[in-house]
Amino acid sequence: MRYEVTLDDRRLRVDLAGDGRFTIDDRVVAADVREIVRGRQWSIVLEGESHEITVVTHDPLRLDVDGRDVHATVSDERTLRAGRGAVGTRTGRVELRAPMPGLLKTVHVNEGDTVERDAPIVTLEAMKMENELVAPIRGRVTKLNHRSGTKVEGGAVLAILVAE
Amino acid sequence: MLVANRGEIALRVIRACHDLGLRAIAVYSDVDRDALHVRAADAAYPIGAAAPRDSYLNAARIIEVAKRARCDAIHPGYGFLSENADFAQAVVDAGLVFVGPPARVQRLLGEKTAARRLARHVDVPVAEGTEPLRDVAAARAAANEIGYPVLLKPAGGGGGKGMRVVGRDQDFDAAWRGATGEATAAFGAPALYLERQIARARHIEMQILADGQGKVVWLGERDCSIQRRHQKLIEESPGPSVSENLRAKLGAAAVRIAERAGYVNAGTVEFLVDANGEFNFLEVNTRLQVEHPVTEVVTGLDVVALQLRIAGGEPLPFAQEEIVRRGAAIECRITAEDPLAGFTPASGLVALVREPAGPGIRIDSALFSGMAVPSEYDSLLAKVIAWGSDREEAIGRMRRALEEMRVAGIPTSLPFHRAALFDQEFITGRYDTEFVARWAARKTADLSDGTAAAAALAAVLAQRSRTERRALARADDPWSRAGREDALR
Repeated sequence: MRYEVTLDDRRLRVDLAGDGRFTIDDRVVAADVREIVRGRQWSIVLEGESHEITVVTHDPLRLDVDGRDVHATVSDERTLRAGRGAVGTRTGRVELRAPMPGLLKTVHVNEGDTVERDAPIVTLEAMKMENELVAPIRGRVTKLNHRSGTKVEGGAVLAILVAE
Repeated sequence: MLVANRGEIALRVIRACHDLGLRAIAVYSDVDRDALHVRAADAAYPIGAAAPRDSYLNAARIIEVAKRARCDAIHPGYGFLSENADFAQAVVDAGLVFVGPPARVQRLLGEKTAARRLARHVDVPVAEGTEPLRDVAAARAAANEIGYPVLLKPAGGGGGKGMRVVGRDQDFDAAWRGATGEATAAFGAPALYLERQIARARHIEMQILADGQGKVVWLGERDCSIQRRHQKLIEESPGPSVSENLRAKLGAAAVRIAERAGYVNAGTVEFLVDANGEFNFLEVNTRLQVEHPVTEVVTGLDVVALQLRIAGGEPLPFAQEEIVRRGAAIECRITAEDPLAGFTPASGLVALVREPAGPGIRIDSALFSGMAVPSEYDSLLAKVIAWGSDREEAIGRMRRALEEMRVAGIPTSLPFHRAALFDQEFITGRYDTEFVARWAARKTADLSDGTAAAAALAAVLAQRSRTERRALARADDPWSRAGREDALR
């Protein structure tokens, strides 16, 4: 399974193989992982360096990493796909969802606009980064659910497009 | 000894009792049955519902328990009934000893404008200000005369509650309403007065001890300038900006005020010191302070044990010249507040705790794994105190201790404290009371690649673990759910 992880303003890709091996940003990493407190604390010896990671809170995900405070988000393949808005149906109706909670910085279109594929629809600010969410298809914007300046939950439907 | 408090301070007083071979009796509200102070005490009595007025502020109930448990004395800790003169009097009237200044001293110094008059009388400088104000119109007129910014303060009590900085005339009415409400809630008295706001000032306080024979000594100062909403977050001694000369002046001023008031037991005289080293008297706190350990570790004295001895009628066992201050101490107050969300209070279950230890580190804490942090009380969870032979060593030890500390389950002030100990203003000792307003979280850009990789991996494992447990919780059939949970153990 493939995951995209943000640590404050850093972004890393983690691949977890079935055999327990994993890669980080396409690099296979040797790590000895011990779960010290179930679901809460891990000791990880990674390439000889010893790290302890504690989940301070789950929602939002805040980690104590060797005594440092880190804000994290984790998206798996499914939510990443949803984030690209590829939730198409036979009717040609596509929902554009927020891949993570954040602040809707800018809405670039109006209801009724016709947009090209990959045209920017909204800018979502999350973890102090601006993420431009683009149109997954060429189509007409039939619904905009949130105005710019509002906070949105992860998975919230931001816009609905109908293929043209 | 009955300890009329909860949390870390109840535990602190119980420890002092045990050090002296005294039996310690705890009281607890409905939500504190599992608390450490209940378990550490020799006996414990329930005193009512969680709301403070039903339990820790219920003076009659507490005195009744003290008599039933055959106590000789009551220690009020800080907060709650500690500065309530009527309580101090009621304790004495019940034939018990009150560990703290007598009711008449509390009345005299507890009315803040009367305390200011007393200070002026013994030639201690006092910030320009007013008597208690009649109404908002009189207050506004006084504010315009003193000149903005002004500080609106409750006359009935200290500790930062009900205090407002007002920058402009048009904000005055709203501040007045807010402060009146808060002062009424905190002290049962809405009276307010005004003081000139001293910009970029430092909050320096002097610990004093006075025995029943009229001897008063000062132990040393604490710089408590790092505050948010007028509540302290970091304290240290010696104050990095305090010269030997200023220290002696503050000590002498504090002793003059205490002598004039007929002070008995431990107390703190607070001052504001401006950028030029000019000081003004603020108020006297007629109780043990949260930050007393800072003074204890630099002087080697046990302030709480001395409180008990003084209350027992013993004279102070040392003279002013015999008090020696060694090295430097810093205290961080770890609170159940989220510094990344404007220090909003947090309550909930503490899933995991690991407290630091090692050379120069002292922990005064009420924390334990599985503790439910109630929303009814002060947010203080634990105090981390670091001592070093100089300030640099104390800072090094404090950084290490904060990095060792783990609290999970609820947000705490740890991110703030960890950042503060690396802040250039703090390191150079040039901070003031506006420090917290300017703080920023440490950046993770300097996490090493290996650390980031380990953190990312743990984040994924945490997410998976949570998803699995949620899936289990959603299963309808309790038998299959139990079976699968077992399989996961």
